[in-house]
Amino acid sequence: MKHKFAKKLMWVPALLLAAASALSGCSQGGSAGESGQKVINIYQGKVEISDQLQEMKKVYEASHPGVILNIQSVGGGTDYAASLKSRFSAGAQPDIFTIGGFQERDLWLEYLEDLSDQPWTQHMDQVAKDPMSADGKLYGFPLNYEGYGFLYNKDIFKKAGVTEIPKTLSELEEAAKKIQAAGYTPFVNAYAEWWVLGNHNVNVPFARQDDPDAFMKSLNDGTADMASNKIFDGWLDLLDLTLKYGNANPLTTDYNTQMSTFANGKAAMTQQGNWVQPTLDGINPDLNVGMMPMPISDDAEANDKLFVGVPTYWVVSKNSPVKEEAKELLDWMAGTPEGQEFLTKKFQFIPAFNNIKAASEDIGPLGSDLTKYIGEGKVLNWYFQQLPIGTPQDYANLMQSYIAGRDTREQLLEHMQASYDNLKVR
Amino acid sequence: MSRKKISQLTQQFVFVGPTTIFFALIVLVPFLLGVYYSMTNWNGVSRHLEFVGLSNYVHIFTSDPDFRNSFWFTVRFTVVAVVGANLLGFFLAYFLTKPLKSKNILRTVFFMPNMIGGLLLGFIWQFIFVRGFTAIGQATGWSFFNLPWLGNEPTAFWGIVIVFIWQYAGYLMVIYIASLSNVSKDVLESAEIDGANRTQVLWKMIFPLVMPAVTVCLFLTISWSFKMFDLNLALTNGGPFNATRSVALDIYREAFTNSRLGLGTAKAVIFFIIVAIITAVQVRATKSREVEA
Amino acid sequence: MEQDTRYRISTLVLEILLVLVGLLFLVPFYFLISNSLKTFGEILSDAAALPTSLQWANYKSGWEAINFPSAFKNSLIITVVSNLLLVLFSSMTAYQMVRRDSKFNRALFALFVAAMVIPFQSIMLPLTDVTSRFGLSDSLWGLIICYIGFGAPLSVFLFHGSMKSVPLEIEQAARVDGAGTYGVFFRIVYPMLRPMYVTVIILNTLWIWNDYLLPSLILTSEDLQTIPIATYMLFGQYTKQWDLALPALVLGIAPVIVFFLAMQKYIVSGIAAGAVKG
Repeated sequence: MKHKFAKKLMWVPALLLAAASALSGCSQGGSAGESGQKVINIYQGKVEISDQLQEMKKVYEASHPGVILNIQSVGGGTDYAASLKSRFSAGAQPDIFTIGGFQERDLWLEYLEDLSDQPWTQHMDQVAKDPMSADGKLYGFPLNYEGYGFLYNKDIFKKAGVTEIPKTLSELEEAAKKIQAAGYTPFVNAYAEWWVLGNHNVNVPFARQDDPDAFMKSLNDGTADMASNKIFDGWLDLLDLTLKYGNANPLTTDYNTQMSTFANGKAAMTQQGNWVQPTLDGINPDLNVGMMPMPISDDAEANDKLFVGVPTYWVVSKNSPVKEEAKELLDWMAGTPEGQEFLTKKFQFIPAFNNIKAASEDIGPLGSDLTKYIGEGKVLNWYFQQLPIGTPQDYANLMQSYIAGRDTREQLLEHMQASYDNLKVR
Repeated sequence: MSRKKISQLTQQFVFVGPTTIFFALIVLVPFLLGVYYSMTNWNGVSRHLEFVGLSNYVHIFTSDPDFRNSFWFTVRFTVVAVVGANLLGFFLAYFLTKPLKSKNILRTVFFMPNMIGGLLLGFIWQFIFVRGFTAIGQATGWSFFNLPWLGNEPTAFWGIVIVFIWQYAGYLMVIYIASLSNVSKDVLESAEIDGANRTQVLWKMIFPLVMPAVTVCLFLTISWSFKMFDLNLALTNGGPFNATRSVALDIYREAFTNSRLGLGTAKAVIFFIIVAIITAVQVRATKSREVEA
Repeated sequence: MEQDTRYRISTLVLEILLVLVGLLFLVPFYFLISNSLKTFGEILSDAAALPTSLQWANYKSGWEAINFPSAFKNSLIITVVSNLLLVLFSSMTAYQMVRRDSKFNRALFALFVAAMVIPFQSIMLPLTDVTSRFGLSDSLWGLIICYIGFGAPLSVFLFHGSMKSVPLEIEQAARVDGAGTYGVFFRIVYPMLRPMYVTVIILNTLWIWNDYLLPSLILTSEDLQTIPIATYMLFGQYTKQWDLALPALVLGIAPVIVFFLAMQKYIVSGIAAGAVKG
């Protein structure tokens, strides 16, 4: 009995390994599938559109026999970067994947296919091209524009007697006083969320520099600093203003609380972007909402800007065996009516191509306001994508410390500078 | 080789082999690879990486206050959470081995928190701290609920401690129940005949006899709290102002958010060495107090 | 331990106290269940209140959103197979380590114990490298092998502790009766340690059933999604679809609660048999 049993047991690990490799063998095996079919593996992090992408897959495969789209969406929000890295370290590189501009472009550059010669590039604005350009080449397909500023409740503005949208810091304070007098909270601040502070809010002083690119360059070589920069001062004036006229406990106010407070008409203004439209609709479909600029000085014209960027680009892997088919897919999305319909109607995105227009009923009032600003060219880019990787998260922490009153302005700017200098070292 | 020797070797292979092979493949090899990466400047993406020797380690010890802060936080957290969870777990077990009518249902209730996994558990508790506590605070006016929960250092610290204890006390309870039920009635009866009172019985008789369970439970809770990640990420994400960033979260941030994988794994290696020493000492210390029952 | 079999006033007070603590423990479940029956707007606006009208449709949508039957099947296969192999392999290893106390086995045990404190996040990337080289990526078997590797240290540790309580004399008696090593293990040791097996299985089940990160790294095909992975698909960067995620979560927990209730009997009977030692 002894030997029989021993033999049986010894087979177990061997069998397991064999079974594992047999099972996994079918699902791996590169992008060029059997019987001449071309499989394009797509890895993307925007789970909000995963259902619509499956729909797009059906439409595309029907009109392109022999091509199969294998689309994987990664949920959880923050984990996409880590899981994409693990895909690459597992040697299972997708043919198309999604990344952000600037710093992430540099991080992944060695894997990116040059897309400069693609027809859709001629319809891209500079604001969409910059984050994905390097050495005069363009590496990414912009999925959409997103933009942010202050959202404001038009009904509360009317009730409080605010007739003009405030375009200077003083006007904003005036408006806040009236709103407070009318019995509403002027601002609801979700300063518990790192990205509200560390991405969007902190972008303001960088984007508002006369020449942001030059400013970032001099930060990198150490010839500029934040403490002596007047624009940073104006930015903190605005931050102070939102706190002075803001809700209690901003540091425990998270995104959900922010959204419900604003959508239920308890607060008049809040810093967010057009991506909140579905959430607002879910809470209160009758909300009369618009988007307005974030003033940091008394120069109305300079203040009258919204912050618009391309959150994610679709990029093609340089090593992909099906990169021609992948490019064809991107061209289909941007260049055919069926593809464009997915971008605008199905995903409900603001397209980052100036030849495609989204209908306002698809993108809602926030998207419409944003489109107006984009059309007039009154937009500034998302420079937080250009900060050294990791600084936005760090900045959020430093700003929370300032908001809690543990640090002075000088200390905050000093710490921000130190964090920049630490993280620019690679 | 003699027949006996061969059969012994076969037995060793059959009994220890499978576990060791899988363990080596899944844990050991990746860890050793990690040790190698900790001496490079790899960013986690590129195919090009340079060997930089011990410079990552030097960087951590000379110019990385974040790591020190998160280590200090982790130590403070571990002490409080381990003691709290074990005390509650033990006393729940102790009381639930008494003839209560609701004993079985209560055992299940106390165990239930374990059934929700990491991140989602954190999201739900964040919900409770931020929304639920505020609502209760408004209704009752009790200052405890009107604290800025998760919004400053003490409340964020205690918030994580509360959830940790809530989650794991029931788990430890199960192990303590198993162990307590094993304390023989005869021993206790003879103690009572000798005139020992209840507290004396508890401290002098029961505690020494459940020491093996204490060893296991302490070990488990220490390794969980040292490795705490999901709960930390979902509940406070290290905030406010980095006050509650655990070492595991710091390692993850360095490796993935900051894309400095070499530096991140160097932190992991240092952390591993420190914790391995601590747990070795702990196991040795409690083992020596066990009584052969 | 049931030295006090009388039900006294003090017992009643204790019982009331414990029930109150128990209710406190259930508060998060109140949030979970009551919010799973609200509309999205209501969840965000009034999280603490009872639902104004019960949205049972959430459960239907949640069921469909995570493709529950398929996700359940995958989670079940992974959890059951990993568990069985894990307790088999690790109890055998613990047995051998205790009975043959060689230098090698001691060193191996120390290694297992040390490995328990390696933070998973620090070996994530090398792990995906290794698993893909051995063809373990994107397959249930590959994931199961990962669970055996990661679960082995804790399971061996737990069995190792309890193995000492198996009296050597009984084993020797069995040997005199002609049983071999394998016979002794399966006919003497295994039955005596049954409560420990139950404990280890419960602990591993909870871990594997709820685990998100490891399957998200190993499994990529949509048809291999487990319940946690499918649930996480409802969490975007900004928008969290709570009205689908909460019912999905309840659906995911229900099987574990049923499992625990079923298993609890075995723990209790095991305890009665007096065979367990920590």
